Amino acid sequence: MSSIRLRLLKWVIPPVLLVNLGAGALAYTLASPHLREAVLRTLVLVEIVIALACVGLIWFSVSNGLRPLNRLRSELNAREGDDLAPLAADDVPYELEPLVSSFNGLLAKVGEGAQARQDFLANVAHQLRTPLAGLKTQLEWLGARHAEPETAQSVRLMLSATERMIRQTNQLLALARAEPHHFEKARLEPLALDALVAEAVQLFVDQASAKAIDIGFDLQPATICGDRFLLRDLIDNLIDNAIRYTPPHGAVTVTVRPGLLTVEDNGPGIPPDQREQVFSRYVRLDDKSHGSGLGLAIVRDIAVVHGARLAISDPPGGHGALFTVKFS
Amino acid sequence: MAQLPTMWRTIMLVLVVEDDAVLADGLSRVLGSHGMTVDVVGNGAQADQLLQRSGAAEVVVLDIGLPGMDGFEVVRRLRARGNAVPVLLLTARDAVEDRVRGLEQGADDYLVKPFATAELVARVKALARRHTAPQAALALGRLSLDLAARRARVGERGIELSVREWAVLEFLLQHPARVVSKQQIIDAILPWGDDLTLNAVEVYISRLRLKIADAGVSIRTIRGFGYMLEPDA
Repeated sequence: MSSIRLRLLKWVIPPVLLVNLGAGALAYTLASPHLREAVLRTLVLVEIVIALACVGLIWFSVSNGLRPLNRLRSELNAREGDDLAPLAADDVPYELEPLVSSFNGLLAKVGEGAQARQDFLANVAHQLRTPLAGLKTQLEWLGARHAEPETAQSVRLMLSATERMIRQTNQLLALARAEPHHFEKARLEPLALDALVAEAVQLFVDQASAKAIDIGFDLQPATICGDRFLLRDLIDNLIDNAIRYTPPHGAVTVTVRPGLLTVEDNGPGIPPDQREQVFSRYVRLDDKSHGSGLGLAIVRDIAVVHGARLAISDPPGGHGALFTVKFS
Repeated sequence: MAQLPTMWRTIMLVLVVEDDAVLADGLSRVLGSHGMTVDVVGNGAQADQLLQRSGAAEVVVLDIGLPGMDGFEVVRRLRARGNAVPVLLLTARDAVEDRVRGLEQGADDYLVKPFATAELVARVKALARRHTAPQAALALGRLSLDLAARRARVGERGIELSVREWAVLEFLLQHPARVVSKQQIIDAILPWGDDLTLNAVEVYISRLRLKIADAGVSIRTIRGFGYMLEPDA
């Protein structure tokens, strides 16, 4: 642990002291005016050289001493907004220690706040599930009974609103789960990616049938290391997104290959300059469809915590969008 | 659901344990509309007491988050008494620990709230089926299979099926409106591990389609995955 002040003193003080003492002694001994002038001239030159050397030394020492500060600054600048890990306290100059430790205290408080917000979100979402289940069950019972057309239509609308609430609630939960500081490495296990997709086929087929979309699968055995529930969220959201944005009578194809999941649709596609944007929260390119704008943000978060690469490209057929998740 | 397969026409007794009154009432209505007799209790202690009577229920639909004695404890006590009545757990949390714990305590299946009522009804029926004698007949639309006499009919007209075609159709009828994979079909119709290719399944399906063309049901292809038998709209 070194101090900036000590470093400065060590480099600057000895030469300055030496030169000033030496010059004073010389001026006293030499009495002849001619000689004194010559000596003075030399001394001035020497003083200038020494002064310059001192400036150089000070500049060198100060920038050398400030290097840890610059390192901290660039480390902070390079951080993602949700990276609240404490700054490393070792290898920090003595003067900066209290500041770094206060700053780490602040980071911890911000982290606790974020955690509390996520827990609150998850808690509220869980609390909403039972009343939503009650509402949905009652409406589905009502919808299955014969009713006059106007009543039937009203029930259908209520059911569709309830479905949207349920979806939003589940999305909030998925988002809370996918938060990097909620992510538990302990939950990682070897999983069959093809089996995870197969588990949800019924759900996708029902969803696709409602829009007369032809959904197809091409699943080959693929084992990856991951969190079962998060990966189901990723798969569900990718396929839901494809079905949502593909017009009626379109086609969606889900493919699994070793280390690879792709979802291809023949919908309107996503222009290259907007491909990065769709992974941001609450972004919807098409305001006609009922999306929360969270689906692809959830997909991105889950891909990130799994160290997977996520990309959008043009499908081989040229029309639509091809989402690729490549697991390492 | 307008068409009830014949196998469900016997009355089934279901116990619903749920403290949310709206959901409990909804479950009771939905299961009731599928021909089941439903009892509802709102807490674990009451359920525990009721379940000490033999024959109190053929299937139990049990919420985990009950006031007082929770669902886990109800199942644990039930199994400790040696009662094997099938239990379907309902949970508002989808944490892995909840699922694992519930199944470890001896529950047979679980559903995360909110669920589609069709899904709930299908699960309850599947649980009941596992614990009762095999059905005598299967039916959907105008198609019916008399399992005892091994006779297939469309309306009043009898149809001829090969052994394999019969097995495929029986499996599809056991899973109406559900997607089944080709591999599931092979596993179901070949208990002796015979060799059968996925292509062979396609052949049986296309023959079946011709034979049941006017039965008011159709076998839909799920591209690259399998099939779904559904009543025509």
